[in-house]
Amino acid sequence: MSTNKSLIIKLSDKILLIIVAFATLFVLAAVFVVGGSLQQILILGGIIYIISFLTAYAVSRSFSNRIIGLTFKVEEMAAGNLSKKIEKKGKDEVAQLANALNELISRLQTGVAQDVSTHKELTQAKTDFVAIASHQLRTPLSIIKWYIDYILCGDAGELSREQKKLISEVYKSNERLIELVNALLDVSRIDVGTFAIEPESIDIIEIANLALKKFSIEIRAKKIRLEKKFDNLPLLKFDPRLIKIVFENIMSNAVKYTPEDGIIRLIIKKAELNILIKISDTGCGIPREVQPKIFTKMFRADNVKRIESVGTGLGLYIVKAIVEKSGGKIWFESPSLDLLLEKGRDNDDLPIDKRSQGTMFSITIPLKGMKKRIGTKKLTSA
Amino acid sequence: MSDKKTILICEDEIPMLETLANKFRNEGFEVIEARNGEEGFKLALSKKPDLMLLDIVMPKLDGLSLMKKIRDNKWGSDVPIVLLTNLSDAEKVSEAAKYGVYDFLVKTDWRLDDIVALVREKLDLNF
Repeated sequence: MSTNKSLIIKLSDKILLIIVAFATLFVLAAVFVVGGSLQQILILGGIIYIISFLTAYAVSRSFSNRIIGLTFKVEEMAAGNLSKKIEKKGKDEVAQLANALNELISRLQTGVAQDVSTHKELTQAKTDFVAIASHQLRTPLSIIKWYIDYILCGDAGELSREQKKLISEVYKSNERLIELVNALLDVSRIDVGTFAIEPESIDIIEIANLALKKFSIEIRAKKIRLEKKFDNLPLLKFDPRLIKIVFENIMSNAVKYTPEDGIIRLIIKKAELNILIKISDTGCGIPREVQPKIFTKMFRADNVKRIESVGTGLGLYIVKAIVEKSGGKIWFESPSLDLLLEKGRDNDDLPIDKRSQGTMFSITIPLKGMKKRIGTKKLTSA
Repeated sequence: MSDKKTILICEDEIPMLETLANKFRNEGFEVIEARNGEEGFKLALSKKPDLMLLDIVMPKLDGLSLMKKIRDNKWGSDVPIVLLTNLSDAEKVSEAAKYGVYDFLVKTDWRLDDIVALVREKLDLNF
């Protein structure tokens, strides 16, 4: 700020100096022609005044033009364009200012270059961490998995019912750990941008049914009515692994948070240029105040934590990334009352905080297929 | 017993090698164990197994290089090879596909019974 101020003072000084010089000239001339008439003095004075005004105007114009030029350059710098330096003219204060700005540009360029390389190093470190974590964490997890599996299958001798029950719990906990590690790795791959999309011709209904199979035991145990409405669809250029992760994650939430005797409906249909997938349930719903956060990493709403303590809070983040990177969209409605109205009045008999609200997730993926994405890693979680 | 199928397992993590080997023995297979790629290569050429299960990250010679060496050998050009790994790198999968891998299994996703079933399916075994 101080540089700007002194510059302005120096500039106005210069203009003032010119006017004062010309005014002095006028007084001297008046004295020399003192013998002349008042009219002559006034004419001469007028001419000198006009000349001095024009000269002062020209000088100030040249300064202001150069300053406007510098202002444009500073605005460009503020917008992030550091590529061009300022052309220097003369040795005056504006030229000094241009010099100072050029110096600043050089420093900023070096700084930005350093920032970019630091950012690259950080990204690389993150990628390395993913690779190391992938191998180092999963190796002991697979050893535990296979040992327990070996014992559970009776290969190490027969187990009593009690032993089998206990070992099964260890197996389940280990599976949860594997799931968490896989989900964390997927999140890193999404964040680092190294995950691949490999579309191939697939039958989306077949993938959906395969994903549903995973929940058949739980659906039966909770007496949930599963309704499927599938259009006849052609083969689609989708990545089967990714579309399965999408189905499994949304279905897993629907099954987990829908109470006994509830309804889950899965619709897959063609809608203009997209495949539209709708998964609705008569579950606990997503409270309005947390709705903006549900696609955030590691977020789990309080009402679902009360129902199910287990969950990574990563599923919807992963699903959203997959859908959007594939050129599609995802959104939800909660409360979603369609299914609840079908379900009848029994919901009204419950206290307000126990009532089902229902949720409906909608996903679109372009009919022309997922965008191929070259990457070095595949997503693994389901 | 002469029609017992022989499989070679090459894995540097001893607990995994032992569990897998014991499981396959319990299921009626003849099992050859190798603890690194070089040992795996020598044993493969001398014992000529019916199928090979190879880990990828191993000392001395990694699974993919071992696979390439086996494929370059006259005997190994069409022996079924299943890769076992903790990595799920797309690059490695496509590289393995070039050498004609039968399957690419991520260890944490597979139960022992399912691995045995896969090997039986490939060897056309119904016992």
